[in-house]
Amino acid sequence: MSTLAAAPAAAWPTEAPGIPVARRRRRTSTWAGIAFAAPLVIYLVLFYAYPLAQNVWMSLHHFDRNTFVNGGAPFVGFDIYREVFAQPRFWPVVRQTATFTIVSITVQYVVGLALATFFHRGGFRLSSTLRALFLVPWLLPVIVSGTTWQWMMNPDNGVLNAFLGVVGVEPVWWLSADSSLMSVIIANIWLGIPFNLVILYSGLQNIPGDLYEAAALDGASAWQQFWRITVPLLRPVTLVTLLLGLVYTLKVVDIIWIMTSGTGTSQTLATWSYGMAFGKGSSSVIRYSEASAVGTILLVVALAFGLIYIAIQRRQEED
Amino acid sequence: MTMKMRRYVAIGATVLIGSSLAACSGGSTPEPGASGNAAEGTITAEIAFWDPYPQHADGSAWDEHVKACAPDGATIVRTSAPQTDLFNQLTTAVKEGAAPDVVLLDNPMVPAAVEAQLLATAEQAGIDTSGVDENLLGPGIVDGTAYGAPFGSNALGLYYNADVLQKAGVDPASITDWASLNAAIEKVVASGAQGITFSGVPGEEGVFQFLPWYWGAGADLSDLTSAEAVSAGQLVSDWIGKGWAPRSAATDNQSAAWDLFLTGEYGFAENGSWFAAAATDADFSAGVIPIPAKDGGVAPVPTGGEFAVAPIQKDDASDHYANAAAVIDCLTDGDAGLVTNETLGYLSAKPDVRAAQVTANPVWEPWVASVEGAGGRTTELGGQYVDVSASLSEAIQGALNSAGDPAGVTSAFEGAGGF
Repeated sequence: MSTLAAAPAAAWPTEAPGIPVARRRRRTSTWAGIAFAAPLVIYLVLFYAYPLAQNVWMSLHHFDRNTFVNGGAPFVGFDIYREVFAQPRFWPVVRQTATFTIVSITVQYVVGLALATFFHRGGFRLSSTLRALFLVPWLLPVIVSGTTWQWMMNPDNGVLNAFLGVVGVEPVWWLSADSSLMSVIIANIWLGIPFNLVILYSGLQNIPGDLYEAAALDGASAWQQFWRITVPLLRPVTLVTLLLGLVYTLKVVDIIWIMTSGTGTSQTLATWSYGMAFGKGSSSVIRYSEASAVGTILLVVALAFGLIYIAIQRRQEED
Repeated sequence: MTMKMRRYVAIGATVLIGSSLAACSGGSTPEPGASGNAAEGTITAEIAFWDPYPQHADGSAWDEHVKACAPDGATIVRTSAPQTDLFNQLTTAVKEGAAPDVVLLDNPMVPAAVEAQLLATAEQAGIDTSGVDENLLGPGIVDGTAYGAPFGSNALGLYYNADVLQKAGVDPASITDWASLNAAIEKVVASGAQGITFSGVPGEEGVFQFLPWYWGAGADLSDLTSAEAVSAGQLVSDWIGKGWAPRSAATDNQSAAWDLFLTGEYGFAENGSWFAAAATDADFSAGVIPIPAKDGGVAPVPTGGEFAVAPIQKDDASDHYANAAAVIDCLTDGDAGLVTNETLGYLSAKPDVRAAQVTANPVWEPWVASVEGAGGRTTELGGQYVDVSASLSEAIQGALNSAGDPAGVTSAFEGAGGF
């Protein structure tokens, strides 16, 4: 800025007393720019940067209830992270988080795409009614759907086991330590299908219909049309859907918490962090620092995938 | 999209703000609890009162009873939240210097609250602890200093469905130890009814329900891996394994377990004295016996119930403490003290008031011995109890999930720990 400001002054010495017009104008517009940007910047700093920085800061200091209230939490460097990594449950929880996330978004995407293609080709009379019905999971408060899943999965008198009994399958203890991961994945998939359906359906609508007409004239089968037209042209939408799905799924707390309180295999990094941050679940001990450390790990993972997304998007634009 | 997004944003923001507002202030705090005395303060126009009873809504008998305790010229503003949330909100409120005047805090949380320097001493806040039973006062005494007073207590007992037992040919009086209890449950199940309901939900509530079996086996909170501890885990694990107890016990809280018992299908239910009045309204004839210890006799049950405490105040401490002194005195003393306990379904912490309750309401009679013999959960371990309780909760979950498998139960108790 200083060099920019100095140059015109030297170039037009005749306008000596007072500030050059161009410079004055530039300064005014700079201030105006700052003024216009200020609300956004303040908002970003206050509600995004500050909490993020605090989160990291808390994970580097050893907080307990007393130091939280009265101050004086000692700086411990990366000790908290080391402590978290050293927990025997750390790697199992990471594996469970990965399973929960990958299985959830894969199935959600595949089912969502199948349904979107179905409705897109459709044009039958109940098409829009059916499509609206698929949005129900989205419209229900999670506390309602989570509790309903918990009831349906009751091992002794739940409707799911009653149904399995009819078809001659042994009843499942859905929310036991071993099966709870599977159970929360099932519920989460159900919850996430509408999101995939809506996004992919609107993506399909943006693919020009004449491409399909041309392909049909050339004798391409429906299957070929799907793989050669739909899939490649849907790629940008797919990328966004998967990335958003990943970030959403990574930090799911509500549905898991309502169904199992994060017990057994249903514990993920997000529920673990939540339980420690608020002293909920099996332990009522508040672990501010450990919760922040796990939260930071989650953020880093989400950030990594965000960067991968940007990289892929750039490459696509270059193509 | 917005719906789902909003949900996640909300959660994200809660976690972030929750865990990070944490660190924001601090600065120069005066030595906690150093200043202020109820005797030097004057009562203010508005008194903030927090309790963990959201089930008692505005206008309920409890709500009106509390508000009637406002001193002349003052009004009580009552706020309710579940136990854990209340404790967290109290933590933040004290930090911000905006603590309420009176909080009813679950008794095992009191030592942790004292260690975090959240509570004023009973002496400072003008809370009278005289006449309160020693075992009930225990959790409120840290390093010889009393913090707050319990107004009443609840205890756990073994409810039974007399109709089911009669049909199965079981005499409740014959249940004096674990062997006779198991024999009785077996008979009940053989008669076509269901066995027993209890709550094994993760967290303090499940631990509270498990402790009578744990202590009744002779186990000690300082050693979760002892043979006695494992035997208590084996007892409840076997109930699940044999199908005597519902597998949902691992996720049922005490209300859910009680609802199962109210269906009339179960022979027994381990539950609290706060349901004693409701039991008389059940569609069947319900009775209650003390929980038996492993080798006979009555098992020690943990003391249940809340302490009335006064949080530390940064500004005008004496005035706030004067508020606390007046309100707590009203809620715990004399006739109002009796109403407090009757409204909540508790037995008073003072023997004379308790005797008056029993005279007026015979439903309390079987509970008196349990309350008088109850042990404080934190009496032995103080602030360390919350850590042990967390490990024990994990062990219970592991035991219930093992469904009777002894190796699973043993490893659940030996492997519990960490966070």
